[in-house]
Amino acid sequence: MSEMLIKNAFVIDPLNGINGEVMDIAIRDGKIVEAVGDAAEVIDARRNLTLPGGVDSHTHICGTKVNFGRYMSPEDMRAGRTPRRGHMHATSGYSVPTTYGNSYRYSAMGYTTLLEGAMAPLEARHTHEEFSYTPLQDTMANALFDGNWSVLEAVRDGDTKRVAAVIAWVLSAVKGFAVKLTNPGGTEAWGWGENVDCIQKPIANFEVSPAEIIRTIVEANELLHLPHSVHLHCNNLGKPGNYTCTMGTFGLIPDLNKKRQTLYATHVQYHAYGGSGWNDFCSKSEPIANMVNMRPQIAIDMGQVMFGKTTTMTADGPMEFNLYRLHHDKWSNHDVELETGSGIIPVLYRRKNLVNSVMWAIGLELALLVDDPWRCLLTTDNPNGAPFVRYPEIIALLMSKRYREEELATVHPDTEHRVPLPAIDRELDWHDIAVMTRAAQAKALGIVDIGKGHLAPGADADVAIYPIRVDETDPSVDYRRVIDAFSRTEYTIKRGRVVCRSGECVVDGNNTTIWVKPKVSPEYDMGKDPDFIRKFDRYYTVRMRNYPVQDEYLKRNLCIETEAEL
Amino acid sequence: MMRVTLAVKPRKKPLLPIEAECIVPKTFLSGEAVYVWRGNKELPLDEVFSVTIEGTADRTEDVEIFISGDTSRIKRIGEYLDAGRIVIEGDIGMHCGNFMSGGTIEIGGDADGWLGREMRGGTIICRGNAADYCAAGYRGGRKGMTGGKVEVFGNTGDFLAEHLAGGTVIVHGDAGDMAGIEMHSGSLTIEGSCSRPCGNMAGGTCVVHGTAHEMLPTFRKIGPTTLEGMPFTSFTGDIANRGKGNLIVRDYTYMD
Repeated sequence: MSEMLIKNAFVIDPLNGINGEVMDIAIRDGKIVEAVGDAAEVIDARRNLTLPGGVDSHTHICGTKVNFGRYMSPEDMRAGRTPRRGHMHATSGYSVPTTYGNSYRYSAMGYTTLLEGAMAPLEARHTHEEFSYTPLQDTMANALFDGNWSVLEAVRDGDTKRVAAVIAWVLSAVKGFAVKLTNPGGTEAWGWGENVDCIQKPIANFEVSPAEIIRTIVEANELLHLPHSVHLHCNNLGKPGNYTCTMGTFGLIPDLNKKRQTLYATHVQYHAYGGSGWNDFCSKSEPIANMVNMRPQIAIDMGQVMFGKTTTMTADGPMEFNLYRLHHDKWSNHDVELETGSGIIPVLYRRKNLVNSVMWAIGLELALLVDDPWRCLLTTDNPNGAPFVRYPEIIALLMSKRYREEELATVHPDTEHRVPLPAIDRELDWHDIAVMTRAAQAKALGIVDIGKGHLAPGADADVAIYPIRVDETDPSVDYRRVIDAFSRTEYTIKRGRVVCRSGECVVDGNNTTIWVKPKVSPEYDMGKDPDFIRKFDRYYTVRMRNYPVQDEYLKRNLCIETEAEL
Repeated sequence: MMRVTLAVKPRKKPLLPIEAECIVPKTFLSGEAVYVWRGNKELPLDEVFSVTIEGTADRTEDVEIFISGDTSRIKRIGEYLDAGRIVIEGDIGMHCGNFMSGGTIEIGGDADGWLGREMRGGTIICRGNAADYCAAGYRGGRKGMTGGKVEVFGNTGDFLAEHLAGGTVIVHGDAGDMAGIEMHSGSLTIEGSCSRPCGNMAGGTCVVHGTAHEMLPTFRKIGPTTLEGMPFTSFTGDIANRGKGNLIVRDYTYMD
């Protein structure tokens, strides 16, 4: 039995309605408890800001796509090199670091739970292998279904239950956590050199439109009672004028779940563009934010862009090809058999570039214009908008109008005519930031019940203590201190033990992989469905029995079983 | 003037490389203890070299380093050199003069790979041959050498001046395959022959005084021109990369 007592913590725990109370936190055997004995190890938080461990609901840290980003950019490995030290392995890389690099840097920022945003089911093993070398965070992975042939056929046939059955089988086979749709229909069309424009036109071979795919999968997701909603990367990413398409997509979504959103729209910054081309490119964050404000069934994440070098990687292959044609730099493209595809290119977001400056502004606007911080989460879609190590700067930008003005003065001078940002006075407070970086993320992912994102007794003892005194800091003025504090915790506590102390990781760590297993009736068990088996035999390069990820790929893991309505 | 003389002591296993990025003039000016690496072992400088220091200096510019003995497996000498002079009597190992921004390196013998990689300024003179990736960039990088001068009196290996983005490279002998590949700007002169020069070049000038074997078909022929009274043929390209570089060759052959 191990016990710990965190004394004098200035706690903000939004899920339990605690907003700035100085209290003690008791921990026994990795869980928060009411009280511990006198022999407990004591940590004095000295009234510093103490939050539940950070949750990142959309990042790309593990898997074939991320690894290919590493292959492609050996120059990135020359940045961010740290030597082996104590319990820490040597790391390298900036936008796509090694797995240990990701884990240590996240831990130093107080993050304890991460969701890999897109895992091609056929290549799931690689993701799970890398998860075992991301030791300081609990991990989970969204499985991609945007171009899955079995799903597309079932959508065409209007058979929502069969869609749900395929999703259930694949998720439990590949130990995935939730459904990810990336440019639904578009990535399959890209296999034939095509793309989709918006959501109404059907794609070839299947004769289903993105709108039908999205609506059916959203319904199927609820039939399965999955903890997380559908995780959608809308169509037409990054195209001027795409906000109409995004609005149309949001309009499709019914309110189906009382506990959480029905749709998680990711990196909405990339989907809030106005104009008819790059010359009249402008921000349409206002209509998008209004739409989100009106529709409680939708939660979004920012996909904030920060200036500097990074690597973009997505299952949206056609989008990356368009981006490649703009930049004329390196480009990689990949097709995953019957399931999905992907593309990767390195990019440099520049302050002097008008389009990049507008993109930078849109992400901030979304966070400031969506009234309810519970429905706009803080991400960069790491590393697409920027590497996650830039989160502290984003937090400071959201908390300080003065910082935003200083930054606005350094970007392309025409930016202010194209974005509403200069007119926005809102400054988020500590509670809003705690919501956007942990509580709301845990709620959106549906992992509050398994003890993430809050500090009530029974929760996982994941705690981050930041070296900043809330009562002595005015974030709108002292934004530099805010950046420093959120860059490096005083203590990061994971499952009841200190894993990171002032940026130095002090244990080897042992993560948990969280996955879901929807229970379906035998007639909806796709593992025994003759058509489904035939599809494997005929088209896949692997046999059906070789497809599921074996248990040895999951060391410590937590399976969430759901009762499906099938 | 400070004159540092380093004579390599006989080594039991002379093939084991030694990493000696500390051998630059400013190290000796500071007077601190100097260590080099052999594998994962850090050794004091005088375990590898007999060190003699004569005179004193206040400025890095006044320091000269003379290195003699079997230096063919000693790497990274002159890395980040910014001023002063290094003279190497014999051959030198890989990565000599990486990132140097000023000063001079003279090599009496041959240089191994990556001589003057990503050089920013200064001068390197190699009296023997240089191996692959002379005056080049590094894996994945978009910019190689951006300034300074590299002059090789012998031949060079493949990928000479890859990603050249400034400065001058002169080779008196032959160059290998893919000389000047991905060149952006700067000037590359090859007195001898080479093959497939300047693939994907975007800008800059490359002159081949010998024969360009296997000329790439993606260079548009401009026509005859003269350099120092001799007839040459001028090309522009690489048009496959929308490039506007100048490739001027004495003679050329396309692949059969």
